[in-house]
Amino acid sequence: MRVKLLLAGEAPPGLGASLLAALPAPFAGGAEELLAVDIRTCTDRRRRQVDAACLLAVVPEPPEGWAHLCIVGSDLCLPAVTHVFGLAELGSRRGVVSWARLREEDEPWTLGPVTRRRLLVEAVHELGHALGLPHCAVPDCAMHRSLWIESIDLKLPAYCPSCLAALATKAAASSARLTACEATHTMSGGGNAT
Amino acid sequence: MSRSVRLLIVDDEQHVRTSLACWFREEGYEVEVAASGKEALAALARGGAQILLVDIKMPGMDGLELQRRARELAPDCTIIIMTAYASVETAVQALKEGAYDYIVKPFDPEQVSRLVAKAAERYTLLAENRALKERLAAAEPRLVTAGSPAMAAVLALVDQVAPTETSVLITGESGTGKELVARLIHSRSARRFGPFVAVNCGALAEGVLESELFGHEKGAFTGAVGRRHGKLELAHEGTLFLDEIGDVSPKLQVDLLRVLQERTITRVGGAATIPVEFRLVAATHRDLEAEVTAGRFRQDFFYRVNVFRIAIPPLRERPEDVPLLAAHFLERFATQMSRRIEGFEEEAMATLVAYPWPGNVRELQNVIERAVVLCREARIGVAHLPFTAAPPRDLSLEAVEEAHIRRVLAMSGFNVAQAARQLEVDRVTLYNKIKKYNIQRP
Repeated sequence: MRVKLLLAGEAPPGLGASLLAALPAPFAGGAEELLAVDIRTCTDRRRRQVDAACLLAVVPEPPEGWAHLCIVGSDLCLPAVTHVFGLAELGSRRGVVSWARLREEDEPWTLGPVTRRRLLVEAVHELGHALGLPHCAVPDCAMHRSLWIESIDLKLPAYCPSCLAALATKAAASSARLTACEATHTMSGGGNAT
Repeated sequence: MSRSVRLLIVDDEQHVRTSLACWFREEGYEVEVAASGKEALAALARGGAQILLVDIKMPGMDGLELQRRARELAPDCTIIIMTAYASVETAVQALKEGAYDYIVKPFDPEQVSRLVAKAAERYTLLAENRALKERLAAAEPRLVTAGSPAMAAVLALVDQVAPTETSVLITGESGTGKELVARLIHSRSARRFGPFVAVNCGALAEGVLESELFGHEKGAFTGAVGRRHGKLELAHEGTLFLDEIGDVSPKLQVDLLRVLQERTITRVGGAATIPVEFRLVAATHRDLEAEVTAGRFRQDFFYRVNVFRIAIPPLRERPEDVPLLAAHFLERFATQMSRRIEGFEEEAMATLVAYPWPGNVRELQNVIERAVVLCREARIGVAHLPFTAAPPRDLSLEAVEEAHIRRVLAMSGFNVAQAARQLEVDRVTLYNKIKKYNIQRP
């Protein structure tokens, strides 16, 4: 699975590249680009936050074999929830994650190593959801639920063996569907040729 | 961390319900959404949702009205009210009407996560509790007593002794249902979630029974290829039922007496003492007092076993139980064999009631099973029974008269007027006879 990081708004230099380089298995390679959307359209001015569900809706659908993760520095919320670190629709291969609440106090704009690690963990977490994984009970698995930032520090930026196995099963099923789809196209194409 | 609980989010604002659905799906819940009370009721009618998150202010049917109507459709569901205003009156009203809790929008993620997790846990516990109760009710042995005074007395004793830790001795002829009564005591005791371990002491040779009860270590004797846990160990924190305890050899009586005194055992061929904690229920068809007198049963062991005695009367002493027991077995076997048999011919029932039943309830069960196999008519007749009416053992006029009156009363369902007509005597005479023979209404 390859990942495209979509940077919404301004981001510290080199953040996307360092995140892509640190992504664990099963992610390999990837790319980054700016998301051509004005996040102000998803901003709740009264709450001074960005609606994560609205932002997720504008993340473009990825091609087969890719996942799209939007990274943003604004504070994310949901209409009925005060804040979220990120959001992804299960199995949609699309997610959003924010570093706004992951920062240490008085941290420079460039983001220190602690915040960068937290962002990596949460990026892996949202990508897991985007590939269909729910929360995991293993405390140091990236898919373990985090409701406050200290609990993010207890997790690893990687999946536990059972989550990896679940991802492999989902990837095999997806590959089988793709093969069947290609076979159908080939057969119908052959029919037209004759 | 996928959860087996399904949520239904009811909110008229589309972005609220879709974003919450997305968020709760990440949590591992199955989520359905509904835009109005009407949609929510339709979703509930389809079945599935166990926890409802309901917005209190919706056009048309509001959250409180939906809560009332949802309770009628799914009384077990848990309802959490969502409100944009911290209105005490609305919250109190919602809670009064049975809402589990209420939360104010926007929710703190930790708060809502905990609240829904608690609601899910409550639902799971309630469902488990219900399933366990059903399993327990299904597991409780059915004693078909037909309400005879003798069996009602047995059941009353069972109810009295079951909740205690007292050892019980059940006496009765073979086939009267001693093991069923033992199981009933276990299922109505605090140990009902522990094991019920039954051992038939009369069916095994002394050496085999010793190994069966105490277990053995590897190499304890020829053929002991591995360690084996005995029934006394297996009954730990449960009930040990020793059937035919009167057949236990004197040596094993000593060994069992030590176990009952010290509450520890040593496996055959082993050295370690293992603590065991069980309740003893024993049964026998023998007259244990006579066995003690004859020196075949140790007196000290007898006193240990015979703390609370329940005597099950033989079936011939309670002929009024025969019609209901027969009907019960008929229903069971007819269902098993997919037969449509409505009941018994009058003559067949009279034969069943008159028969002395030396094999007791077990024999009656076998006779009815055989009759269901043979019967091709709507009712079981005499031809389907393996015997014809047998003469009573006591041939004195009084005994025959008493047995006959009991039989006719049983056939009439203790309708004295009807029985008197069948006996061709007046009711006063029949009442006098009932009083004379101490025949009690079931």
